Amino acid sequence: MSWLDRDEQQRRDRFIYGGARQRFTLCRAALRSVLCRELDCRNEHLAFKVSEHNKPSATVRGLPAPISFNVSHSGRHGLIALAPGGRVGVDVEERVPHPNLDELIAAVLGPNERNELAAAPRPHRLHLFFSLWTMKEALSKAHGMGLSMDVARFEIPQAMREGSPSGCFRFADTPEVAWRLHNISTEEFAAAVAHSPDRQ
Amino acid sequence: MSSTEERIRALVDANLQIGGRSEGQPMRLDLNIIDAGVSSADVVAFWRLVCEEFGLDIPAEEFAELLTPGDLIAYLDSRSG
Repeated sequence: MSWLDRDEQQRRDRFIYGGARQRFTLCRAALRSVLCRELDCRNEHLAFKVSEHNKPSATVRGLPAPISFNVSHSGRHGLIALAPGGRVGVDVEERVPHPNLDELIAAVLGPNERNELAAAPRPHRLHLFFSLWTMKEALSKAHGMGLSMDVARFEIPQAMREGSPSGCFRFADTPEVAWRLHNISTEEFAAAVAHSPDRQ
Repeated sequence: MSSTEERIRALVDANLQIGGRSEGQPMRLDLNIIDAGVSSADVVAFWRLVCEEFGLDIPAEEFAELLTPGDLIAYLDSRSG
C-alpha cells in the first residue's frame, strides 16, 4: 500500500494478525484521503508524529498542520473527527456483549454512574454502559492521555447521563479548559466526540 | 503456587480475544497486545483482572506502558520482589 509512508508501513507490518493489519491500513488510507483534501496537500507531503501517550498529529512538509484529528474503529465501523484547531478525540464501539462487563464497569465508571447503571433495566445496561464508555474515551483521547488516564476518576455530566446529546465538561485539574462533548450514538453503535479549542 | 507467567498466560487465554491465534497456540511474550488487535475495552477490563488476580493497585498510567505480556510479567515480579 503505497499510500502509507515508511513509518506507517513499519507499524502495519508489526500487526501480526491480518484483521488488525487490514483495519489499520484502511483507517490510515481514509485518514490520509480526508486530511489531504482538507489541507490541500499531496499525500507524500503528509506525515504523522505521536505525543508521549501516542496521540497522533499531522505535519505537511515537516511543519505542524493547522488541523486536529482523531480516529477510532470498532468491528466494521470507523470514525474520523476533524477540527480546525484545539484538541479533538473520538471513540466508536459496537454494542456487543462483553464477557468482562462487571470488570469494565468497575474500571471505568464513577460511583454515581455505577449506581445509575445498576438501577437501569437490565436490557438497557449494555446500551448505557457503551454510551458512557465512548464519551469517557473520547475525552481521554482528546486530552491526549488515552488509556493512561484513569477515567473512573471523573463522571460524565448528569444531563448527558440522562440523555442530553451534548454538554460541557471540565477536568477537575484543569477547570479553565471547557470541552464540548457530543454523544452521537445510534441503535447500532455507541460513539462520542470531544473537542476543546484550547491547545493545552 | 503458579508462576507469574503461568497466571498471566491463563488470564490472557481466558479473557483476551487475540485474532488469528489458533487454539492451543502458545502466546508470545513479546506480543504487543494493541498490535494483536485487542480492543481498548478489553485492555481496560484486563487491567482490572490483573489487579484482582495479583492483589495490586496498578495505576492506569503505569499499566498503559506495559505493552507486552513480557513487560507485564517483569513489572509484576518487580512489585512482588
